[in-house]
Amino acid sequence: MPTMYGLLVDLLVDRFEVDRAEVTPTTTFDDLDMDSLFLVELLLVIQSELGVAIREDTASPGDTIGQAAERIESQVAGATSS
Amino acid sequence: MTSAPIGVTGLGLVTAAGIGSQASWRGVCAGVSAARRDDTLSGLPVDISCTVPDFSPSRDVGRRSNLMHDRFVQLAIVAAREAVADAALDPALWDGARVGVVVGCGLGGVSTWDQQSRAMAAKGPDAVSALLIPMLVPNMVAGHLGMEFGATGPNLVTATACASGATAIGTAIQLLRDDSCDVVLAGGSEAGVSPLIVTGFARMGALSRRTGEPAAASRPFDVDRDGFVIGEGSGMLVLEREADARARGARIHARIAGYGASADGYHMTAPEPEGRAAGAALRSALTRAGVAPDEVDHVNAHGTSTPLNDVTEARMLRAVLGSRPAVTSTKGVVGHTLGAAGAIEAALTVLAVENDTVPPTANLDRQDPEIEIDVVSRTPRRRRVEVAVSTSFGFGGQNAVLVITAA
Repeated sequence: MPTMYGLLVDLLVDRFEVDRAEVTPTTTFDDLDMDSLFLVELLLVIQSELGVAIREDTASPGDTIGQAAERIESQVAGATSS
Repeated sequence: MTSAPIGVTGLGLVTAAGIGSQASWRGVCAGVSAARRDDTLSGLPVDISCTVPDFSPSRDVGRRSNLMHDRFVQLAIVAAREAVADAALDPALWDGARVGVVVGCGLGGVSTWDQQSRAMAAKGPDAVSALLIPMLVPNMVAGHLGMEFGATGPNLVTATACASGATAIGTAIQLLRDDSCDVVLAGGSEAGVSPLIVTGFARMGALSRRTGEPAAASRPFDVDRDGFVIGEGSGMLVLEREADARARGARIHARIAGYGASADGYHMTAPEPEGRAAGAALRSALTRAGVAPDEVDHVNAHGTSTPLNDVTEARMLRAVLGSRPAVTSTKGVVGHTLGAAGAIEAALTVLAVENDTVPPTANLDRQDPEIEIDVVSRTPRRRRVEVAVSTSFGFGGQNAVLVITAA
């Protein structure tokens, strides 16, 4: 099963024209020129891919991809355990 | 308000004839229509268009452009970059607060609208992008140019349908003359070749049905014309007060000498048959330019290739200007780009003045006998062009006329 981090990277590459080589867990969304509006779009895409509600404050431009993946993962875990 | 002369110091064009001013000018002078069958329109009543060839948003505009820019914004960004570079201005150095942006647009992000509304119908609200609204609203084209160039002066979009681009340039010269700005990036942009919009124009009977021979479909002033071919594109001009431009040693392509505007007050789509208001806009533009009607050498006509426009316009031009000017309609080559047309044609008129050359009207095989003006056909005509006029008329009866003179 792919990790949440892997899924996030795949989405950034496939949908947001990010080059796979420029992403590491410590890369921030700012580093990728992903502004707040793109983050809203990214979270909407994740929500519809996973079928789980994701909070709007899950990621901001200064966050790293690794941090965002962890937060999404915990929300998914919360949704499936309840 | 002064009537300080306004110089055109930069030009940018993206048309079906090519990306770039020189490519567009060469294509227009070759006089061969760029209209072709359009696969995105297959199965519709009209499936031909004049779209920009080989345009790649990620290459020509930048990363993620397709996710944040509708095509009308993409075309404008490319044209504007060319115009600013051509003006030899460096946005890193200018006082952005003194730089305005005025862009004409008739429709806005209609491809995005069309595609997102189909997605919502098919998959529900979860399929709608968070970027729908910023991609859709027509003012965003000027907003993006403000961001691109750090231009933080007056920033707006004009909507007078097919006159929008000319209205934008007319508005820009007023911003320069009343000292609201030192530089204005003015022009027009439109990308209306979407299935819904093309079908709408087809249903109202505005488009040529000569779909079997696309390259012969746009034929302004020809006796066999039967409607326009929809096009897309952008034309952008850098405008400055001539004194400022000369002081910084800029090259001045030509001068925007006068602008006149009026409304028919008559009908949603049909021109008022006597062309009274259109003629008044032309006379007003000439008066403001300090030019007599018999001094006009060249007219870049609105010339849509619809039966009604071309005969009404020709009658009006003949009445106001006589038969002296060499007239062309560049829509024969690049199609009708709606809200961009006035700006694209203003840029081409600037090039006509600069090159002393009037491009031919494509497909003018047999001029309509009711059209008694001198329309250039087949090959470009070399002649002195000191004073030129560009006319634009919009649905709604909105008329805008620019007088462009040699600098």
